[in-house]
Amino acid sequence: MKLQAKQVALATVIALAGPGACAPAALAQGFKPTRPVEMVVHTGPGGGSDVLARAMAIMMEKENLLPVRMQVLNKPGGGGAVAAAYLAEKKGDENTIGLFTGVWLTGPLTSDKAKVTLKDLTPIARLVLEPALIAVKADAPYKTLADFIAAAKQNPGQLKQSGGSITSRDNVVRQLLQKNTGARWTYISFPGGGERIAALLGGHVNVMVIEPAEAGEHIRAGNMRVLAQVSDARLDGFPDVPTLKEAGFDVPVVPQVRGVVAPPEIPRQNVAYWEEVFRKLSQSAAWRKFLADNQFENGYQNAAEVTKFYGEFTDRMRGILQDAGIKTVR
Amino acid sequence: MKRFGTPDFWSGLALAGLGTSIVAEAAQWEYLGQDGPGPGFFPLWYGIAMAVLSLGLVVSSVLRQPGVEDPIDWAKARRAFAAWLALVAAVAALELLGFLLAFAALVFFLVAVMYRRPPGVAAAVALASAAAFHGLFVLVLGVRLPTGMLGF
Amino acid sequence: MQGFAVALQPVNLLWCLLGVILGTVVGILPGLAPSGTIAMLLPLTFAMNPAAAMIMLAGIYYGAKYGGSTTAILLNVPGESASVVTCLDGHQMARKGRAGPALGIAAIASFIAGTVGVLGLMLVAPPLARMALAFSSPEYFALMALGLAMVVLLAGRSMVKALLAMLVGLWISSIGTDPFSTTSRFIFGQLELLSGVDFVIAAIGLFAIGEVLACMEARGQGQLLPVPRGLRNLLPSVRDLKDCRFAFANGSVIGFLIGVLPGAGSTVASFISYGVEKAVSRRRDEFGQGVVEGVAAPEAANNSETGGALVPLLTLGIPGSATTAILLAALVLWGFKPGPLFISDNPALFWGLVASMYIGNAMLLVLNLPLVPLFAQVLRAPAHVLYPLVFGLSMVGVYSVSGSLFDLGLLAGFGLLGYLMRKLDYPAAPLILGLVLGGAMERALRQSLMMSEGSLSILATRPISAVMLSLALLILLIPLFNKANAWRLRALEQNDG
Repeated sequence: MKLQAKQVALATVIALAGPGACAPAALAQGFKPTRPVEMVVHTGPGGGSDVLARAMAIMMEKENLLPVRMQVLNKPGGGGAVAAAYLAEKKGDENTIGLFTGVWLTGPLTSDKAKVTLKDLTPIARLVLEPALIAVKADAPYKTLADFIAAAKQNPGQLKQSGGSITSRDNVVRQLLQKNTGARWTYISFPGGGERIAALLGGHVNVMVIEPAEAGEHIRAGNMRVLAQVSDARLDGFPDVPTLKEAGFDVPVVPQVRGVVAPPEIPRQNVAYWEEVFRKLSQSAAWRKFLADNQFENGYQNAAEVTKFYGEFTDRMRGILQDAGIKTVR
Repeated sequence: MKRFGTPDFWSGLALAGLGTSIVAEAAQWEYLGQDGPGPGFFPLWYGIAMAVLSLGLVVSSVLRQPGVEDPIDWAKARRAFAAWLALVAAVAALELLGFLLAFAALVFFLVAVMYRRPPGVAAAVALASAAAFHGLFVLVLGVRLPTGMLGF
Repeated sequence: MQGFAVALQPVNLLWCLLGVILGTVVGILPGLAPSGTIAMLLPLTFAMNPAAAMIMLAGIYYGAKYGGSTTAILLNVPGESASVVTCLDGHQMARKGRAGPALGIAAIASFIAGTVGVLGLMLVAPPLARMALAFSSPEYFALMALGLAMVVLLAGRSMVKALLAMLVGLWISSIGTDPFSTTSRFIFGQLELLSGVDFVIAAIGLFAIGEVLACMEARGQGQLLPVPRGLRNLLPSVRDLKDCRFAFANGSVIGFLIGVLPGAGSTVASFISYGVEKAVSRRRDEFGQGVVEGVAAPEAANNSETGGALVPLLTLGIPGSATTAILLAALVLWGFKPGPLFISDNPALFWGLVASMYIGNAMLLVLNLPLVPLFAQVLRAPAHVLYPLVFGLSMVGVYSVSGSLFDLGLLAGFGLLGYLMRKLDYPAAPLILGLVLGGAMERALRQSLMMSEGSLSILATRPISAVMLSLALLILLIPLFNKANAWRLRALEQNDG
């Protein structure tokens, strides 16, 4: 099997290169988990990462990608800092991996209490990119994003957007658009997604950045209208909605990302193993269906690519946050 | 009976101290920002309220007729503190000993020392409760409990 | 009616039964939250018919509310965040030998309120959801202010101490990262405090551990709690039921309405309903010492709140709490699209669920009532067995939520605080009130001011918030009225004499 060959090749190289972490027995087989694998997420049960991790566990079982069970371990707190710190402590542990999101990358930029950055952990893969939509209430006077921006320019600071915390992607989109157009509108943080939608539907705010899966039903029911998509290419579910660029706003598309990391100092062959598992997952039919249902983009990158991605992403985010007047500490 | 040094006096003073330090911290943060009240807004106000009210408590405890309150029974309080220290020790030992051992030790201490039961009874209760917790939570419900150096 | 056809299928009945039993167990055990259990069971539900799965998961959700009162009454350990208020009078009743009636009333109140909640879901869900959209930050602020005003009714002997306890609660609620500015407040350099102090840890520490420490003072007595004797003391009497008539109504209505508001929470509902009951009860001075209405009202509120919380979930696809969030995730994973069209797209599922909730509530009543005398016997255990058990339950309960030893340290800290508060005669309920409502209130105020661009008048110009704020103000003035009355009476007496 291709998997075996790759493992053996890698193992041979490592053995020839010098003392490695592989026991002689492992040389023949490569790494395989023998105990249930724990996937650490930074939300509680029901949160975005938690749901994704559980869905992944179910898919892995269906597709027989792992010889053991995968369990979800919730380590909420500190915007990802607690989960990241937990993973950092598990140096060399072969049965723990983590599901990271963009917050793990931006959190350390603004908080000096978050001591562990993704550079300290072992990257495995990037899995999904989550695009978003810019939506208004259906009876709002804005038919296009340009309408909204024009209205915001005329009434600086009076229009309102609901979203998550100020370092979340919702605010990043706002900052980018404000900088690009010179318009200004207020941002109001709501901790829960439900409250943000309720604020929009109740007419208390004018606009929000919302995920396609959340918006879908409201659009179908005629409560919301989508002005633009925050994505590089038009999503299948929204063929009539212009992307930001098409709508005339040349701002970088900052995606919400999710991917897999492992604790520091795990053997190279383990990394290769995990890479392979997630590569297979990202190509499986079940995964494709999951992406389509939730309107995610397949953003698969392997370990080397995702390491480069971290650097680019953090640099760009740092710039954006500083422009927005948010203090960065790294 | 004393006017000064009553429980109300000390607790009021402590809370006044807390209130003042809250105000001091809050003063370092933004009070009113561009988008509305900043992180310092609420803490400042409830810190002030705390300081004012607790000073009021201190004053009223001094002005009140002495002898109105029951004095604190220090002997009893010592027992409670001892039990608390045992709990803290058990929590601190969890990483080393794991839940089963630490909890069994805690129970043994409570039964033998606090309730003055014979060591045999204490040991029995300790083992039985540790086993029951392990059985119910770890085996049946699959809850993860801390495991210590010895692996359980 | 089609719903009953779905719900009464033997398979679905079985899943309903399983769900409610599991829910009750989860509710009894502190720290085990229904959201975590539902999350754990998700993979298993894939093999099931979605209707059956939903029926079971919903059973866990509202079943947990039934169980939460058990440890609250018997051991002063709130099994679930909303059970905190039940501890106040429920445990006091247990201490007076009336654990049986307390548990029984809790079950009956839960049944009545749960059924009212389902009725509400069935009859008024869509229009109510639309009305709930009119609620936003100013109204939430007013609601939280109304909740905090309840401190006046929870005060006991010293209003100053109650207010101080509440202020400490407000302080603890602001520990953590400020969402609007990423400043971290009062974290004392501890990473784990970045997301604040979990309310469950504070509640279990203050109530359960604090209580055990206080009981450790007495030495060597075998049984400290009077054991209920005779059948009459094992179940609520007719008199008890009559006393609770208003409590059932008030709890059911308030709980349901607050449940409809996404994000408000069942703890707020229980506090407000308790406060209202105390305000209108003839025995208001006895509240906090073991009054049966003091158990009925909050228990009713937290049960009808589940029905209410399902309203925004099923009519708008908006989850209002952690448990409804995971139910939402479950629906999505099964391939449904929760949103405004969910009910019309999936009538069989919705009505089957509704019908199953009636059945589930009935099942829970039938299951719980006979267990009441059994549970009450727990209190027969000698102190040296019972109290270490409470320690253990508290530790496991807290650890199972986050797996953090730091949280256990916090638990011990709150335990000491609870004990000190008892000794120094500071009431614990206002602290919990401040802790629960403080963060939400601050957020709501700041959001409101952002909406109005800095003008406080938004709170007064919007009708709903204006009404609630005036109510809160009136409540806060009650003690002044009382004092004025007392002065007047004393002056009159002095004149006569």
